[in-house]
Amino acid sequence: MAECNCGCGQKTNLIYACSGAANTGFLADQVARGLMKDGTGSMTCLAAVGAELSGFVASARGADSNIVIDGCAVGCGAGIFERLGLPYTQFVVTDYGVKKGKTEITGEVIEEVKNAIKGALCNG
Amino acid sequence: MKIQVLGTGCSRCNMLEANVRAAVAESGSNAVVEKVTDLDMMMDLGVMVTPALAVDGKVVSAGKVLTKEQVLSIIKE
Repeated sequence: MAECNCGCGQKTNLIYACSGAANTGFLADQVARGLMKDGTGSMTCLAAVGAELSGFVASARGADSNIVIDGCAVGCGAGIFERLGLPYTQFVVTDYGVKKGKTEITGEVIEEVKNAIKGALCNG
Repeated sequence: MKIQVLGTGCSRCNMLEANVRAAVAESGSNAVVEKVTDLDMMMDLGVMVTPALAVDGKVVSAGKVLTKEQVLSIIKE
C-alpha cells in the first residue's frame, strides 16, 4: 500500500487572511503566508469561504482549527466565520502596534507580528 | 446522482469509500460512486481536509469518516 500523504490523521490548521486593500490587509496576508511557510498550517482562501463555496466551507468545518488573521478591528474575516457558524481563532494585526493607513509594512514588521501570533498560538 | 469520495488512499479515505458504497447499495439508489485521488481536482473543489465527500459537485463533508447511516441520510436528502 502506498504511503499515506493526504494528511488524514494529522492535525489540520487552516489559515485565512483578510488580504484587504489597506497596509494592514497586506500585512495580514504576509503574516499568513509566513505562518504557512513555518509549518503552522495551510493558508486557504477567506474570500471563498465568504462566497460559501462548498469545499472551502466544509474544509473549515472539518479542520482542527481555523486561524483568522484580520487586518483591522472591522474584522471581516471573523465576521464571515460568525455568519456561517464556523469555529475560529481571530488575530487582528492592529493589536500589535501597527497603525492602519500609517505603518510601513517592512519585512521586520511582518516577522514581528508573525512571531507574536505564533507565540500566542503556542501558548493558547 | 454522482457521489465523489476525495482522498489519496489512506485508511480513513478507504473507510469512507466503503461506507459510501454500502450506503448506496442499501438505499437502492442508482448513484454513481467515484473515488477522486487527484490533488488538483481536490484543490479545484476547495477541499483542504480529507477525506471529503461531494454530491453532484457540492462538497458536503471534509475531514470526517461519515458512517453508512450518515451517508444514507445525505443520499435521501
